[in-house]
Amino acid sequence: MLSMKKTGTILCALAIGLSGVLAGCGSTPKEQSAGTSSSSAPAATTTNSGPVTIDFWYALGGVRGKKIEEMVKQFNETHKDIIVKPSYQGAYQENHSKVLASVAAGNNPDVTMVEIASIAAFADAKVLEDLTPYSQGDEKKYIPGLMKNSYWKDKLYAVPFNRSTPLLYINRDMLKEAGLDPNGPKSWDELVSFSQKLSKKEGDKITRYGFSTPVDIWFYEALVFQGGGSILSEDGKELTINNEAGKAPLELWSKMVKEGLMKNPPGENYNAWDVTEQDFLNQKVGMIFTTTGSLTELNKNAKFDMGAAFLPANKNFGTPTGGANLVMLSKSTDAEKKASWEFMKWMTDTEQTVPWSIASGYMPVTTAAVDSPEMKAFYEKQPNFKVAVDQLQYGYPRPMAPGYKELQDIIQKELQRSMLGQASVDEALQAATDKGSKLLKK
Amino acid sequence: MNRVGATSLKTVEWIGLLIVGFLFVFPFLWMASTAFKTMSEVRQFPPTLFPETWDLSNFAHAWQSGPFLTYTWNSILVAVGILVLQFLTAVPAAYAFARYKFPGRNLLFGLVLIVLMIPGQVIFLPIYVQLSGWGLVNTLWSLILPYAASAFGIFLLRQAFMQVPDEVIEAARLDDASEWKIMWTIMVPMAKPVLVTFGLFSFIYHWNDYFWPLIMTNSDEVRTLPIGISSLHMSDGGTLWNVMMAGNMILILPILVVFFVAQRHIIKAFVYQSK
Repeated sequence: MLSMKKTGTILCALAIGLSGVLAGCGSTPKEQSAGTSSSSAPAATTTNSGPVTIDFWYALGGVRGKKIEEMVKQFNETHKDIIVKPSYQGAYQENHSKVLASVAAGNNPDVTMVEIASIAAFADAKVLEDLTPYSQGDEKKYIPGLMKNSYWKDKLYAVPFNRSTPLLYINRDMLKEAGLDPNGPKSWDELVSFSQKLSKKEGDKITRYGFSTPVDIWFYEALVFQGGGSILSEDGKELTINNEAGKAPLELWSKMVKEGLMKNPPGENYNAWDVTEQDFLNQKVGMIFTTTGSLTELNKNAKFDMGAAFLPANKNFGTPTGGANLVMLSKSTDAEKKASWEFMKWMTDTEQTVPWSIASGYMPVTTAAVDSPEMKAFYEKQPNFKVAVDQLQYGYPRPMAPGYKELQDIIQKELQRSMLGQASVDEALQAATDKGSKLLKK
Repeated sequence: MNRVGATSLKTVEWIGLLIVGFLFVFPFLWMASTAFKTMSEVRQFPPTLFPETWDLSNFAHAWQSGPFLTYTWNSILVAVGILVLQFLTAVPAAYAFARYKFPGRNLLFGLVLIVLMIPGQVIFLPIYVQLSGWGLVNTLWSLILPYAASAFGIFLLRQAFMQVPDEVIEAARLDDASEWKIMWTIMVPMAKPVLVTFGLFSFIYHWNDYFWPLIMTNSDEVRTLPIGISSLHMSDGGTLWNVMMAGNMILILPILVVFFVAQRHIIKAFVYQSK
């Protein structure tokens, strides 16, 4: 985010200038109230002037989007003093650009979803409202493993909403047939030895692979954590992957690919994810890494006994979390902020997160939800869903730095270069470090 | 070259054309076939080219997943609205550039060409801020107005107008025709194939445009088809590709119709240009 902060400031100034010039052309009431919010106390006045309307932008399509619309409708029916207007804004990245543009123009939403690795960028650009005064300790109800990406410089900026982790998915039938533990490999060594038994060759052609994963930053993060390493230094200013813990994942994957044990799925970004899941469903690979977000779909389509397990450990178990959080925007009025918190609190509360989790496949976000009878009954029937929550005890935050969105693209490109044999492990990590530190110094 | 050689050359040419043609048609066929498959067949390996069971419900599923009638209507309003405005601005501008000598003409035309080279994503922010200041964000106007003038249209039409022989215009002027009349009743009909071609380009581009309508609108009442269809896509895994592709079929159908209607003129435009 080379100078998002600077651009933001310039654009804000531009927006203010414009709305001054164009005041006669009809600025929206929202902008006018935003201008006066600091001088008056709107909290007292708005209670008489009817319900507060807030805009909520979300970034999930399909049945999940439908479910969100349903939840908002339910909120509006039970909260007479608040009207929430939900609006689909494309995938995470599109919503991301749109929120920034709308902040510059002064017609931003009040609540939105932000992918967890982008929280730092938004907080650093002062786009987000500090939630501490609103939550007043209420944030303790959320699962601690999910809260690590909610803070920036010791302030609470986000609450978890649709959250996932990577899982190891296994074809239990295939494992049993090969005489392996149907609960899957527990360590990297076992991952390799299991894959050796699962891979099949006909002549020179490999017809079945033991293992496959998208070569994606998310899974790389997991493997680095498992080796006791980290992606960024404590202060977030240095890339710390050019060491043993950073090299180990690439060495493991390259070795497995070279020996015909792992399939490196073709395709850019999410296409590679699709290929991985497709191969797994068609029993072309025995074990894959993918997100809990796919659990519902995979469960429905697998024609074999499918299991989910922790990601295998190297020195220790470890996993990042993924998905998005809910945030409140700092440019809203006080009344809008109060209503926003009411809404965010409700959307992520136990009573809502349980049905949301069951319908969407994402994890429930409060500890009470995990212990609730509904969730327990669901886990009883679908034990695979429980694995993600259990794995959270080994959860690490995704790296927090304002520029991480760009940085992860750089790292991922180097990982792929190395996997395709265009660079050695050392060269790739050196290149990532060089380019990365340039970005982090900005 | 003898006759056998000529025929075999012809055969090679045909095979080449068929291969290239197939390469371009294949993704399209794939979309159409996926739109009719069941989800388990979509996931099947090896994949089937033609659906084993024809599942027509995908279209209903896609259509009912949002207010698609509104989306379609908005798409038509926006694409046609832009087209009309672009004609109204591009024809006089192109005529002026082609037929008048005035100070700064080359500089101005240079600026028009520069506009051609700037991608919309680069300048969306200032335009967004401007439109927001006018209170036009989340209206159909915000989708139409920024495209009211087309640099590409001005450029293309100017080239066409320049090819109209001077004698035709001289004759018209001798008959006391006004410039306005010359422009609309002589130049425009003579450039008809180019106009149709440009119209088709513009229509397809704005019909398919996803980025701009997504950025400018927030509510279903003013949204267009591409956004409706993209909302069928689930983030984080588990997309129903058959429904997605059915949605895309709905999206491209009007374009196919327009294309077949305008096809004759497009071919003419290229012949005309190459003379």
